[in-house]
Amino acid sequence: MRDSVLSRRALLLGSLAFPLTFSACRRSRTSEQQVVDLVIESDGDFLAFRPDELSCRTGTMIHVTFHHTGKFLSALHNWVLVLPNQMEAVDKDAEKTDGEISPDDPRVIAWVPMCGKGERVTTQFVAPAPGDYPFFCSTPGHAVDMNGIMHVTE
Amino acid sequence: MKREKKMLAVLALTVLMLTLAAPLSAAQLKSPDTVKTALRLLVQVSNDFKRQITNKNFARVPHEYMEYTEAADALRTGIKDEPADFKAKVESRLKAAVAAYQKISDMSAKATDPGPLMAEHAKAVTAMNAVFDLFPADMRPDPNLPPPGGRRGGRG
Repeated sequence: MRDSVLSRRALLLGSLAFPLTFSACRRSRTSEQQVVDLVIESDGDFLAFRPDELSCRTGTMIHVTFHHTGKFLSALHNWVLVLPNQMEAVDKDAEKTDGEISPDDPRVIAWVPMCGKGERVTTQFVAPAPGDYPFFCSTPGHAVDMNGIMHVTE
Repeated sequence: MKREKKMLAVLALTVLMLTLAAPLSAAQLKSPDTVKTALRLLVQVSNDFKRQITNKNFARVPHEYMEYTEAADALRTGIKDEPADFKAKVESRLKAAVAAYQKISDMSAKATDPGPLMAEHAKAVTAMNAVFDLFPADMRPDPNLPPPGGRRGGRG
């Protein structure tokens, strides 16, 4: 009887300990992962990003802050990172939704929502495989001028 | 003697007229940076008009008009401390330019063909250039220049 109570307690403790151990591992993995903060802004009210080139290492957790530094125009801007050679296609599709990006679009790696002058928006993602990835503003008509490249290295 | 006086008066009048007709120099402007930014914004938005029309994205044209009025307001802010006669001259031409872009915006509501809108756009650009003529040459934006930074047309 006593053995049975002990084994039930052991089983209960074991079942509690297992998820705790697992979640601690996840926390530990997250804390070990390098997080890089990248800040990018609009060139005031002009259709350009400052800077228009970003660099990071593959696998890094990237925390992007986009700052709309415009003062005069009510134009909305965002920052959208896409797979190589997909900027034009994603931009074209976004035209149909007034620039809004579909969260399910597999061509999009990361994006921040549209924001107005003076606002800041952020996003976080894991840097993809090494390569050059285009980013742009998906407000209709902006991408042709407002774009840049993220260089992901080994 | 009388003839000399007359010639002197004519010369003085000519100098006075040339001075009044000449645009202010950048150094004379109280807020040259704001003015320069505003002039560039007018060109930027004008180019956006053209882009939306060419892409048959007519629904966006009224939004571009709103931005054009905001760029015009930026110019008004930039010259608010300038002499009244200069401000009046700018305001008169600016109103004409804004009205020309409003016409494109109004036309876009029922547009299906970019042609007539492009024709109006060409007229609007002429009206906008009349505003630029009032400012020093080194402040006038080149409509064909890309905006600073960016990778114009860089398609990845």
